[in-house]
Amino acid sequence: MARLFPIRHVMGYIFSLVLSLVALGVIYWDLTFSAAMVILIISALIQASLQLVLFMHIGETSSKKTLYLNIAYAVFVGVATIFGTLFAMIWGY
Amino acid sequence: MKINDTLPLEYRTEENSNKIFGFWLFLGAEIVLFSTLFAVYFTLWNRTGNGPTGKELFEVGGVIWETFLLLTSSFTCGLGIHAMRLGLKKPMMIFFVVTLLMGLGFLGIEITEFVNYVHEGATLQTSAFLSSLFVLLGTHGLHVTMGILWGAGILIQVGRQGFTDETANKSFIFSLYWHFLDVVWIFIFSFVYLKGLM
Repeated sequence: MARLFPIRHVMGYIFSLVLSLVALGVIYWDLTFSAAMVILIISALIQASLQLVLFMHIGETSSKKTLYLNIAYAVFVGVATIFGTLFAMIWGY
Repeated sequence: MKINDTLPLEYRTEENSNKIFGFWLFLGAEIVLFSTLFAVYFTLWNRTGNGPTGKELFEVGGVIWETFLLLTSSFTCGLGIHAMRLGLKKPMMIFFVVTLLMGLGFLGIEITEFVNYVHEGATLQTSAFLSSLFVLLGTHGLHVTMGILWGAGILIQVGRQGFTDETANKSFIFSLYWHFLDVVWIFIFSFVYLKGLM
């Protein structure tokens, strides 16, 4: 039974629950907008990397360099899209 | 065919390694797809017109359950792949069934939420905020729906054929998809719901 629940997976799961609770804290604690956004961004990024590395095994194939590059490029395009849009549409430049 | 025994079953043929690699490329495109939807939402989220704002609309209880179900289903999906690599068919199938049931639970809560929103007069046409919200959440929900159907199909194949190069490869690719949906949800949870409720 124990070998069905590897410790790495269990710890990763508990850690992701804890991170969700920390993120949830922003609606109960009295924080400034920027402090809350920092908490949300950091906890979301840690959670996403947890999934990628631990559960999706991104690092275990021989093509891992290409995979990291592909995901990094996709994230770059995504971030450029989001902040480019905010830059043009919201922040008033 | 060249077979490399040092790798897990799902990677062993060159074709299967390529399929996994190709799926990662698809996930890259999915990251960009969801980024565009987030960009639209972040642009329009305070254009609420005569409709409700996020703060008035969102209910934290349902969202916590959705998050818990999706995080746990991602965990059981990972355990399913772990069991598959140990060659244990029955535990793998049980973990996958649990994964899909929690996916169904997530969908149930999301659909109930949408119905409640519409009853409160918050429809797709009410405001720019609600249009962008429904499109973002709906795209994610559609992915979960597809994932449940896909996972059920794979379970049937594993049940019939056991672990072969092919079924192991399909199961692993499905697990990549399912974990990815959890990643997208984490961002929706943080930057739509929690930011909206702040």
